[in-house]
Amino acid sequence: MKSVRNLYVIVTAIVAGSLFLGGFAEWVKSGIGVGWRLSAYVRHWDLLVLVCYGTGAVGVIWLGWYWLSLAGGIASIARRLKQDEPAHIKSSSNAVVNELSEAINERLGSCSDRKVTLEKQIRDLQIQIQLSQRQKGNAEAIIYSIRDAVVVIDEFDKLSMANETAGRLFDFDFKDSQHKPIGELIDADKGEFVEFLSRSRQSRGRGTRQEIGFSENGRPKTFDCIVSCVYDQKEQVCGVVAVLHDITREKEISQMKNDFVSHVSHELKTPLASITAYAEMLSDGEAGDEETRKEFCSVIQSQATRLNRLIDDILNTARIESGLIKIEKRPLSLTILIEEQLQMIKSYAEEKSIEIVGQKPIVFDQVYVDRDMMSQVIVNLLSNAVKYTASGGSVKVETEVDEISRVARVSVTDTGVGIPEDEVEHVFDKYYRVSANKGQAKGTGLGLNLVKQIVEEIHNGRVFVSSKPGEGSTFGFELPLATTKAVEAV
Amino acid sequence: MSERKVLVVDDEIHIIHVVAIKLRNNGFVVVTAANGAEAFELACSEKPDIIVTDFQMPVMTGLELVEKIRHNEATKDIPVILLTARSFAIEEKQKQDLQISECLSKPFSPKELLRSIEDVLYQRAVMQES
Repeated sequence: MKSVRNLYVIVTAIVAGSLFLGGFAEWVKSGIGVGWRLSAYVRHWDLLVLVCYGTGAVGVIWLGWYWLSLAGGIASIARRLKQDEPAHIKSSSNAVVNELSEAINERLGSCSDRKVTLEKQIRDLQIQIQLSQRQKGNAEAIIYSIRDAVVVIDEFDKLSMANETAGRLFDFDFKDSQHKPIGELIDADKGEFVEFLSRSRQSRGRGTRQEIGFSENGRPKTFDCIVSCVYDQKEQVCGVVAVLHDITREKEISQMKNDFVSHVSHELKTPLASITAYAEMLSDGEAGDEETRKEFCSVIQSQATRLNRLIDDILNTARIESGLIKIEKRPLSLTILIEEQLQMIKSYAEEKSIEIVGQKPIVFDQVYVDRDMMSQVIVNLLSNAVKYTASGGSVKVETEVDEISRVARVSVTDTGVGIPEDEVEHVFDKYYRVSANKGQAKGTGLGLNLVKQIVEEIHNGRVFVSSKPGEGSTFGFELPLATTKAVEAV
Repeated sequence: MSERKVLVVDDEIHIIHVVAIKLRNNGFVVVTAANGAEAFELACSEKPDIIVTDFQMPVMTGLELVEKIRHNEATKDIPVILLTARSFAIEEKQKQDLQISECLSKPFSPKELLRSIEDVLYQRAVMQES
């Protein structure tokens, strides 16, 4: 390149020199006539002028060609550079253009490499963005499909994400509430949760757990709240995730089980207490006469029966649930079964001065049932009716046959305490005891559940209940009538 | 020795019956109640020397009854024996706070109950003398 530049300078110098020399020679030549002494030294001035101008002209032409080729080369480069994808610039006859082309080609080469690198980086970033979007989508799908309430807040305690359950629980719409301070979104009565979030963030906790209680739609509820902090690359807390699992039902069941254990122990011990006390009195000779001895024996017998019934309730519930119970169905008359159980409950009713109104009308149709189980159903309904009816009240048993739907219907109606409307649907639940009536009588909460299981699960029947607080209740069941085939088979 | 009066409170008629026979056979006068509310009225009117009560009863539990008795000027000093199938549910502190003399578990022995009543009444008599 330097040589080209030198050549350009030389040519320019030659042109300039030639033109100057040609002019000078012409001036000297014009001085011959005036006898200028210098002209005497050169004989062929014309030839010298010609040579000088000739050399100058050649030089000018070369320079012109040089400039033209330079301009052409630059224009060509400009045209190529204007293209979207500049191709490799071809070498030119002009050394300057050639050098420029080489420099540009080199730069284009490095730019092209840079571009490839950048394109790769863009592709990687796009993939990462797609992955992030997918992960975000997955996270959102997971959060939205969780039945527990999920709340995510950022490092400024502002809402980042929340699912529908959380929206319902805290009464906010996520779309309108995103990026708003969590303290403003959640009511003051649920402030314990906000405080727990804030405390967990400050303590940088992971999997911090706390039981939190607050009301949802006026109903007291208990939540198992688990909070975990989210960390950025610098291990700084950049958010908090909270999951609220509703454990109200578990707590209720746990409470029911505790109550059950407590009631069962009481229920088992009470007849046992009578049995041991009367037995001791008998053995100590404290029953003075034959009549008293008989009375004591009768009490021991009735309390043993009561104890046995309770144990049956507990065992049968466990057996039915485990599927281990042996079922022996055969066609039987409900009338006979009811009559037997009425005799059993009679003394209990008499103790409480409760009138038992026997079954009407008498039904002769048969049902296909397990005798022992169905006896337990009837005695449970009857003893419940007597238990929750005050002295002077009555218990009425009714049986009927629905010829259209081919079922036998038994109902036991009492004039007892009745059941509050909102508790009626739960009376057949295991361990459930009507809260208002707990003080009225003792119980385990198993009897009616067993009735339901025996009637519905073992005999394909249906239980029903209706009640008015203070007036009484009607409990009953329907069973399919035994088919002629079943009766003939026996 | 004057007649000693015992108020027996239980919602189980058979328990009341057997305790009453045992106590009557041993010279006590027995009054009975089937729940806490009824028992409180009898405690006020009959002024028994001692009360034997069940814990879990309808209307008013045994503990509620004792609490009420302790807050009543006329009945606050009557000794109480708790006869219950849920003795595990009663804490020592509750017993002390309510001045429950003894807590017997069901099933129980009528003889043991009689002995406890005699002991409590004797201790009370000694305390009154001193």
